[in-house]
Amino acid sequence: MNLNHTLRALWGSFREQATSRATDNFFIGTLFIQPVLMTLLSVGIYIYGGRPDFGLYAVIGAGMIGIWNNNLWTSGSIVQDERRGGTLELLVAAPTSLEVILLGKSLSNAIASLLALAITFATGTIVYRLPLDIENPWAFLGALLLTLVAMTMLGLVIGSLFVLARAAGNLSTVLNYPIFILSGLTFPLTILPIWLRPLSFSLAPTWANMALARSAGVLADASIALSYLALIGLSVAYFVLGHYLYRWIERIVRQRGGLEQW
Amino acid sequence: MTAITTTALGRVFDTRTGVVRRKKKEIVALREVEFQVEQGELFGLLGPNGAGKTTLTKILSTILLPTSGRAHVLGFDVIDEARRLRPRIGIVFGGERGLYWRLSGRDTLLYFADLYHVPPKVAARRIPELLELVGLSDREEERVEGYSRGMKQRLHIARGLINDPEVLFLDEPTIGLDPVAAREVRRIIRDLSSEGKTIFLTSHYMYEIDELCDRVAVLNRGEVLTVDTPSALKRLVADLEVVEIEVLGARQPALDSLRAHEKVAALRVEAREQAQVLLIQAPGAAGLVGEFIGLLDGAQVRSVITRQPTLEDAYVRLVGPEAMKA
Repeated sequence: MNLNHTLRALWGSFREQATSRATDNFFIGTLFIQPVLMTLLSVGIYIYGGRPDFGLYAVIGAGMIGIWNNNLWTSGSIVQDERRGGTLELLVAAPTSLEVILLGKSLSNAIASLLALAITFATGTIVYRLPLDIENPWAFLGALLLTLVAMTMLGLVIGSLFVLARAAGNLSTVLNYPIFILSGLTFPLTILPIWLRPLSFSLAPTWANMALARSAGVLADASIALSYLALIGLSVAYFVLGHYLYRWIERIVRQRGGLEQW
Repeated sequence: MTAITTTALGRVFDTRTGVVRRKKKEIVALREVEFQVEQGELFGLLGPNGAGKTTLTKILSTILLPTSGRAHVLGFDVIDEARRLRPRIGIVFGGERGLYWRLSGRDTLLYFADLYHVPPKVAARRIPELLELVGLSDREEERVEGYSRGMKQRLHIARGLINDPEVLFLDEPTIGLDPVAAREVRRIIRDLSSEGKTIFLTSHYMYEIDELCDRVAVLNRGEVLTVDTPSALKRLVADLEVVEIEVLGARQPALDSLRAHEKVAALRVEAREQAQVLLIQAPGAAGLVGEFIGLLDGAQVRSVITRQPTLEDAYVRLVGPEAMKA
């Protein structure tokens, strides 16, 4: 497949996903409501717990929760929806590889999920009157861009699990809260046991949160450069893993059949 | 030139039964399937529910792998050369699934044009043409969720044609449609065939296959029983006549007696509301109506029709009346 074909298929999949989601009231509701609630809770815990200096950290953490949630739910639900709608078989039968199609859709989700961060900042400012000064705006923008890439690639890997297993929808629920905690989105990583750290460091949300928080001026002991490098490394790792997973999955689903079942 | 060839094609599905003591069970969906379809031919695959029609269509359209044998479409091996074959074929499944309900008809075609690598300029020309062909031009901007079942099916066909395929697979394209919508779909299929496309059509509607197809393969329990023209298949029952007796309350012993009648070649019983329709195939059946009614042991006869055999009667003779209940 040539590059032009790949880019057009990516764009087509991106557009289909964006159009379908933009007209889905449940998705829109989740995208807006959850970040507001998480900001009210997370920031409230720190402010009423006597640590208002952690307000910005909590706002960014709540935003990352929104980003993670939207990626997890929507990357999973892409495949579930395709399966339920009977379109998954047609995607497998198309000349474009499933990997490219799901990458386009995952990118669309990741971009939409960045709205969560804007919503948490707005909620923090309006409700708690938090001064939300970003110390290093360019570094923050860079962190946002790398977060977008990493979450897209992670969405690709998560999506592959949903192609294989009909019951993978339950995985979204199971993975939800553990990842919040493991990635330090609600409480700093330093309060977690040391033996859990390797798991934390293998997750993109951990480094995304660190990069965003450090460039905003909180988490003074974190390194922006290290966070950037980790996000790039994890993005590459997720992409390579996703690439091989899809090559394997396309063979498996043709062997097994049952793509029309849900 | 040959468009489709299958050689000893087989497909076995693994399934499991039980919860605690799970047992693996094999279900043979296709066995030793062999046939050829010529380019430009409208080829029908006829069979009862569960005969293996969809499995065969999925294998030929590269969605599913066979577990034995080989299949080639346009000279490409469906197992190893799927990527090269896919741009040159189209697939349409019957029913309401298989569409993005939140997209408009036009956006659906645009999306699949991207997935099938149709150049933008070609897509800009082809999409309005396809919408015109399937009669959806005036509804192209509406979301699919608002379409009727017939409109969705016509959109399916337009989607299947987005890459101008050389071979089009149509799996039960009129299933669940009302007679007018089904006739419209058949009109489209006929038009496509007259343009020279190779069409592989599966259906369990006999009149549809009879009306449209150049040749037919009859599939039952995963096996191809015969491949021939509809008229040649009908000749299998040319020596027979068919009597349709609509009765109320015919009991099993009476039906057994009827089935055992020396002249009866086949008896099929269909339910029609509260009545039963007995379809009896027999040589000179018209002259035997009195005898048949006598065997019904007092069941109330509502109507009797005598007619010449159709493709459906030939099909019943091939697969046996029991297969029709599947």
